[in-house]
Amino acid sequence: MLRLLKIYVPLALFGVFLLLPFLWMLLTTFKSNQELLNTPNPFWVFHGTFSHVTDLLTQTAYLQWFGNTLFVAVASTVLSVFVSYITAYAIIRLRFPGSEVVSTAIFLAYIVPPAILFIPLATIIIQLHWFDKLWALVPIYATFLVPFCTWLLIGFLKNIPRELEEAARVDGASNIAILWRIIFPIAVPGLISAAIFSFTLSWNEYLYALVFMSSSGNKTVSVGMTSELIRGDVFQWGQLMAGALIGVLPAILVYFFFVEYYVAGLSGSVKE
Amino acid sequence: MHPDRRKFLQLSAAGIGAGALAGGLPTLASAADSPFKPEKGASLQLLRWTAFVPSDQTIWDENTKKFSAATGVPVSIQSLSWNDMGPKGALAAQVGSGPDIIMGWNDDPFVYPDKLVDMTDLVDNMGRAHGGWYDNARSYCYDQDVKRWVSLPVGCTGNALNYRKSWVKEAGYAEFPKDLDGMLKLARVLKKNGHPPGFALGHAVGDANSWTHWILWAYGGKQANPDNSIAINSAETVNALEYARQLSETFIDGVAGWDDSSNNKAFAGGKIGMTMNGISIWYNGKKDTPEIFPDFANVTPPMGPVKTPTVSNNFTSAFIFKYSKYPNAAKEYLRFMLDKPQAERWVTEMKGYVTPALKAYADLPIWTSDPNITPYRDALAHAKYDGYNGKPGKAAAQALDEFVIVDMFADVCVNKMTAKDAAKKAEGKLQTIYKRA
Amino acid sequence: MTSRAPLLARLDSPRVLGYLLITPAAIILLGLLAYPLLLGIWLSLTTATIGKTGEFVGLQNYATIFADPIFRGAALFSVFYTVCAEFGKLLLGLTLALLLNQRFRGYRISRALMLLPWVAPTVLSALAWLWLLDPQFSALSWLLIRLHLIHSNIDFLGSGWGARFSLIVVNIWRGLPYFAIGYLAGLQGISKDLYEAAAIDGADGWQAFRRITWPLLLPITTILVAFSSIFTLTDFQLIWTITHGGPTDATQVFTTLAYQRAISGGQLGEGAAIAVSPIVFMVILAYFVVRSVREK
Repeated sequence: MLRLLKIYVPLALFGVFLLLPFLWMLLTTFKSNQELLNTPNPFWVFHGTFSHVTDLLTQTAYLQWFGNTLFVAVASTVLSVFVSYITAYAIIRLRFPGSEVVSTAIFLAYIVPPAILFIPLATIIIQLHWFDKLWALVPIYATFLVPFCTWLLIGFLKNIPRELEEAARVDGASNIAILWRIIFPIAVPGLISAAIFSFTLSWNEYLYALVFMSSSGNKTVSVGMTSELIRGDVFQWGQLMAGALIGVLPAILVYFFFVEYYVAGLSGSVKE
Repeated sequence: MHPDRRKFLQLSAAGIGAGALAGGLPTLASAADSPFKPEKGASLQLLRWTAFVPSDQTIWDENTKKFSAATGVPVSIQSLSWNDMGPKGALAAQVGSGPDIIMGWNDDPFVYPDKLVDMTDLVDNMGRAHGGWYDNARSYCYDQDVKRWVSLPVGCTGNALNYRKSWVKEAGYAEFPKDLDGMLKLARVLKKNGHPPGFALGHAVGDANSWTHWILWAYGGKQANPDNSIAINSAETVNALEYARQLSETFIDGVAGWDDSSNNKAFAGGKIGMTMNGISIWYNGKKDTPEIFPDFANVTPPMGPVKTPTVSNNFTSAFIFKYSKYPNAAKEYLRFMLDKPQAERWVTEMKGYVTPALKAYADLPIWTSDPNITPYRDALAHAKYDGYNGKPGKAAAQALDEFVIVDMFADVCVNKMTAKDAAKKAEGKLQTIYKRA
Repeated sequence: MTSRAPLLARLDSPRVLGYLLITPAAIILLGLLAYPLLLGIWLSLTTATIGKTGEFVGLQNYATIFADPIFRGAALFSVFYTVCAEFGKLLLGLTLALLLNQRFRGYRISRALMLLPWVAPTVLSALAWLWLLDPQFSALSWLLIRLHLIHSNIDFLGSGWGARFSLIVVNIWRGLPYFAIGYLAGLQGISKDLYEAAAIDGADGWQAFRRITWPLLLPITTILVAFSSIFTLTDFQLIWTITHGGPTDATQVFTTLAYQRAISGGQLGEGAAIAVSPIVFMVILAYFVVRSVREK
């Protein structure tokens, strides 16, 4: 009884606050346009319809946008985590001259918001002939993923005991071998944390994808939906909400299976 | 939009012969008369706003295919939400690369006139062929600083007053009042009967600008003089604001938080009895709320002391960037798309969604096929432009983007500022903007 | 073989390998971040408009914007928005983490579900909030009326303060899971022995929290707040979708104003100055992050 009061009741309150918009998405997905505006009880679907879902999947390029987003999110995650891992390793374990400066510079990189950057960045993208090329988003997203991931991995690597690699070094292992064979396996929880973080941020990115991609075939979920389902002052609410829900699915799956690693990895990197 | 559309259009361009035989012949003939000869090996990219109605996209795409068939020039079409057109155009102008043609809104071309191809020849050609242009076309497409047409006028998504017939009748009116005073009386009765009017006062790009400009102009208020000195702080403006204050007392709650979709929802949901909007409310009512749709009606906005209707619309035009390698092909494409055989069908199938800037298209039967469409035909004839009566251009564009007029009305109607103070505040903001631009 | 060995050995020296390993990050961050940032700062010192390079005018754009009441309002609200939202996220995030740190039936699915707001594309969840905050169609208002808590619909976005607080709540909603998960990680790093020792000393739950949990969570708090503040201070999508800076500029922030001036209005120089100005605040925040990391 006490447990109910101390855990489930407050948890339910949080649940209501955090999940209410998703309940609304779910309801809107299955409501006809008419019922959305005229209903005796907004929390119920009286005349359900699947038409929004089928329209979304058959009359728009949703599946392609979804595929594009998935590609960009996965690729930028892999790139960023890899780059961040070797950077963090270099900073923490190799202690080359200037490593302190590099680590500070990377933190500072985090404070630059995309809203400032996109016009000057566009000039560069054009010069590189990267405009409207889907893969171009991968290095672009890395600009905001690498600083955070590097910070996280620096924290994580710091807490891995040095004895391990010193033993390997005695056995004649090179730095590269230590980087790959010794530290990498131990760093996996930290890497998963970084990966989940990166995946989430790149999955949701909007501004760069809007500005740097043009063709319908290169749009991501957020951009495709807002650019093709908002028609002037008429919003295709049912399709928009259905697309939002379907768009959350991959992330929710990732979290369901990896949330423990995520927490463990993060925990490892913030330990004193 | 289908992902493979681009490919499809290009493919169809490759099959010129077949396309021309299958009904492209008359258009081939008219294309031959055109002074604009597409460059050899030309191909075009058009960026336009996402069609508001499905028929717009269908017909536009079909006409594009006809063009490709007739000229062998493939055209790939990209579309973005109408609110995102500005940034894309700005970016193209800034970096000197992007689509050949952009179909933008209002003062967009005035933000970067130096980057745009001179359209004077095309504008003259089209005007001669199709009964001339409405005044609004010149306001939005002729740049007074560089002294040339920088954009080809397409038309506007017009605005009119939308109301519920039975509720206006219930209020004791056989027909909708023709002047603002009559409308205010009606609004008061509507409010009393539980069917209040609703006009957006938030930062709603379309809806908040349209009705506030209408009232401002109806009282003779002006943002600026022809020499771009600020004229907003006037007795006329104060009168307009005083009127708006009284009218706003009848509004449904929450209009200050409204965006462009809010009045569509509120009208279709039966929460309001009167609003101002493009034809979208009426157009979608047929499909979404068929049982109350017959009660929907549209009318030209009532007149104020200036004794002539004043309407503010969203004006769209097409401009070609100087970086385009195929400016002649681009001009020919635009000429073709707005030429009679194509445009007539396009305008007709949209049922009043876009009012063409060429006067000849006002005679199409679609405009009188239903009395509720007619006000949208006249929207352009009654229109003034952003920043009226100043010089159209960057300063006016910026004032519109910063919602100076809307916020002036909201200051009076929502923030309870006196009309004089609000006009003065707006004057200050406008002076800053006009000095900067 | 013999000729390759010294090369490999040289490559493997900490100095060479160190520079080699940071090269990819350096290329990405210098080329796609530092360089455009410098361009942006340069723009803010010129009269550039879209399509025109403009002239160097020093700090004139900054002088102009600081004299502009709309900018001052935007700066003030940006900071207010950030402070309130961060405080809310911290408080609620920590509470949620303390709840989720316990083993109970369904804790795994709860953890995954609680993260949803942070995971959902912001543009789309903002659209769902638009409905919940709608003056006519809000399901929240409907529910509260049904519960006899209010008499008429709440006008969430129709007044300046209403809109401001609504946005803060939505921002808290989106960022709370980020705090919760960070704190959860922090809590799991605290040894159970400490609590047992405290229990033996007769400390109650609150005392244990104040003496053990909170002090040990301080480093992660600094990091969470700093990283999240940067996001919040430069928030764009949420505000642009829900209020567009209105009503009457009440919810204008640095980014919305910069966007309006630079992109819609074409005043690149001034827009860049507005966008660059919050960097001052962010450098202060970053200082705390760097310091807290150094201390470890």
